[in-house]
Amino acid sequence: MRNRFVVAFFAAVLFFAVCGEALAAQKLIIYTSMKESLIGGIVEGFKKQNPGIDVDYQSAGAGKLMAKIAAERESGKILADLIWTSEVPDFYSMKQQGILEQYKTPLIGEILNPFGDYDGYFTAARLGTLGIAINTDQIKTPPAQWSDLFKPEYKGAFGVADPALSGTSYMSVALLEKQFGWEFFDKLYGNKARIGKGSGQVVDDTASGELAASLAVDYITNDKIAKGAHIALYYPPELLMAPSPIAIFKGTLNLEAAKKFLDYLLSYDAQVLVASEGTLSVRTDVKNADGFMLPEAQDALNRAIKIDYIEMMAGKEALIKKFTDTLQGKK
Amino acid sequence: MSTGAKGLQQRQNFGVAQVILFLSIAVLVIVVAVPVLLILFNAFWVDGHFNLADVIKVISEPDTYQALINSLIISAGTTIGSTIVGTFFAWLVTRTDLPYKGFMKAMFLVPFMLPSFIGAMAWKMLLSPRAGFINRFFMRDLGFDGPIFNIYSYAGIILVEIMYLFPFVFIQVCGALERMDPTLEESARISGAGLFTITRKITIPLVLPSILSGALLIMLYSMAHFGTVAVLGIENGIFNIPTLIYQRIHQSAGSFASIRTGTVLATVLVITAAFIIWLQGKILTRGHYQIIAGKSFRPMELKLRALKAPLFIFCLAYIAFTIVLPTVVIFLVGGLKTYGLPFTWENLSLNNYKFILFDYKLTKDAIWNSVTLGFSAAVITMFAGVMISYVIVKMKVRGKGILEFLGMLPFSVPGSVIALGVILAWSGKYGVNLYNTVWIILVAYIARYMAFSLRANSAALEQVHDSLMEAARVCGASMWQTLRDIVLPLVKPGMIAAFFLIFLPSLRELTVSIMLYSPTTRTIGVAIYTLNEDGETVMSAALAGIALILIVVGQTLINRFTARKGAK
Repeated sequence: MRNRFVVAFFAAVLFFAVCGEALAAQKLIIYTSMKESLIGGIVEGFKKQNPGIDVDYQSAGAGKLMAKIAAERESGKILADLIWTSEVPDFYSMKQQGILEQYKTPLIGEILNPFGDYDGYFTAARLGTLGIAINTDQIKTPPAQWSDLFKPEYKGAFGVADPALSGTSYMSVALLEKQFGWEFFDKLYGNKARIGKGSGQVVDDTASGELAASLAVDYITNDKIAKGAHIALYYPPELLMAPSPIAIFKGTLNLEAAKKFLDYLLSYDAQVLVASEGTLSVRTDVKNADGFMLPEAQDALNRAIKIDYIEMMAGKEALIKKFTDTLQGKK
Repeated sequence: MSTGAKGLQQRQNFGVAQVILFLSIAVLVIVVAVPVLLILFNAFWVDGHFNLADVIKVISEPDTYQALINSLIISAGTTIGSTIVGTFFAWLVTRTDLPYKGFMKAMFLVPFMLPSFIGAMAWKMLLSPRAGFINRFFMRDLGFDGPIFNIYSYAGIILVEIMYLFPFVFIQVCGALERMDPTLEESARISGAGLFTITRKITIPLVLPSILSGALLIMLYSMAHFGTVAVLGIENGIFNIPTLIYQRIHQSAGSFASIRTGTVLATVLVITAAFIIWLQGKILTRGHYQIIAGKSFRPMELKLRALKAPLFIFCLAYIAFTIVLPTVVIFLVGGLKTYGLPFTWENLSLNNYKFILFDYKLTKDAIWNSVTLGFSAAVITMFAGVMISYVIVKMKVRGKGILEFLGMLPFSVPGSVIALGVILAWSGKYGVNLYNTVWIILVAYIARYMAFSLRANSAALEQVHDSLMEAARVCGASMWQTLRDIVLPLVKPGMIAAFFLIFLPSLRELTVSIMLYSPTTRTIGVAIYTLNEDGETVMSAALAGIALILIVVGQTLINRFTARKGAK
């Protein structure tokens, strides 16, 4: 009996040693805020084309990933080789801190590049958009303008994800504030708009009817529409765009594999997968997949509200606080 | 340490005894004492000097102050409600002629097993103001203008907590009522007292200590409870202390200012907990109320007469409404293609369950993490617990009182405080950086569950009579041989009990791991919570359903196992 316990104990120790070993092994690791439906297929596709390279990914909110990266830097080594999220200011600040590898992809000529100051530290791999998702059972006339949200049918039933939790929500709050000023959020408060949790939860709450409408990320909404949820996505003329850049970390031991992944992500095959999930591809030769009410990529880029990401970097906490206070009437 | 093992031990065992004592103290100090002390230290010590003004400043900030008040409101409401519900049902199943009492009693203990944050998710699906199934039924089919109940409120949080916490009182009061000497009541009756007088003057005073001690346990638990408030409160801006600590640390990605706010809040929790424990000790030592016979008298049963049928139906309805309904909802939603669709056959399938068990990396990792973490924590605390209990129960050394205190400390320290403590202790400031790795969760689990292991092992060791060991020693066995051949085989049941007492709760643990997880180290609880937060409601419900199955199967196996042991 005693021996069995001793064996069990060492088995447990071994378990963890193996776990630790597995993480340390030579393997491409990607940190991403893309949801399973998007990243899963792309990683599979990459593995198929590059049988020799093992890829692992960890998907979590951008904030959680940045916290992990900060902690890893302190202990000396960033475990990930690549990062792909939608919080653009993070990439500017990582570039500033000098932790990104410069890689000017040869494919840059084939893609729509939303960054005027492109210098190879990070490359847009998806043009995320946010629109108004409505519950089609509750709202019969689709919204055409942002100001439609002040109408009575949205009263107490329009949700925005908590910008403290969701990077895309933070981006869109900043963009809306830039375009319409704080007056816009004062009016939302006047119509009793609600702060939800994550960017996915507001969409699920719209599908269930808890909310009549929400500020929604394209592919999350389209994924649920494809599964039969009673929702639809509409874009007012002033478009909210959150490009999702991908970057390679400086000092990665798998630099060649990381470059290969970045190029694969920008390739036609991968971008077709991106488009098929109901979001905008960066490639000019990839059309939007059928069945989604998405704007064309070039048109979206033209309509998008412009913002200075470097300016955004500094004001994050203040912006989130002001937004929360405004919508909770604490001003 | 040198004051250690000399005393009554013989010289030749000096080495082994010394080593065991030293190891025991080292384990407890490193794992338990340091994190808790660091919290107090960081709360009061700013930039190298004692600073009380800053503590007051943090507490008087509107957000933190509100969180304190909320914690008090929620725990007070939960405690009062659970005490009433628990005492009432305990009285029904022990002292009346209610039919199927055994079954009822078993059912009332079920909420003990169920993680309350999963319950909160179920109630959110049932009673969220616009889309909750019950509210929608009333609004759509019965023509109500608005929701009948909004679960995103103080009342909602308190009611859900009551549903899952009342067994603490129920179990204590049942025990007291069953063991109470019925002759006391009988003599009162013979002396001419009516039922009301007997209840007021005999029964209530006798069971009052049990009621109060159960109530205080609930208060302790509810003050520091994360899950329910996180699921139901955050949306409407209702924060309590643990959820505020979580939100601050989450938002700032672990910056020092937020950790400091966390330590101040944690200190408040520790002080409140210490006060509650002290109060509980006071109540329990008032021995003259504890007139419990221990003889198996059959207490007289009150005839319910005309109330029998209504009360029976009430109990069944309560069980159906608070236990069956939420569980069914979790499983049904877990089977939906996407949240918001009606429950029809074409919308329901087992695909989500298949997906999260076999294809979804995040949930597969989470299940693997929870199982290995729970297993490792259980094995380690089992061995450490046996060693430390041996020192406490069997060794006659000075300074073992401190071990007892240290070992039981985590029992009274809330989970979020332990989590914050291990962040302070193990995030590189003192040489070792485990933050964002799986190891930090393991360390926190060990700290949190050490008290469980000590209780189980101490109880087992007390059963081993000293004469057995003395006999071994007389026959010439060394200290080590005695331990190996006599003590360990005898305390094995205690060790196994400790293993399961730790393994099962850690499978559904949320409060500690939510503070410590990183993208690579989600546990089952964290995965359920974050999937829910990310709007993957159906996946989250499916995983919750699988967790419920794991927990119920595990618990049933333990009950079987321990029952068989008892029968031998």
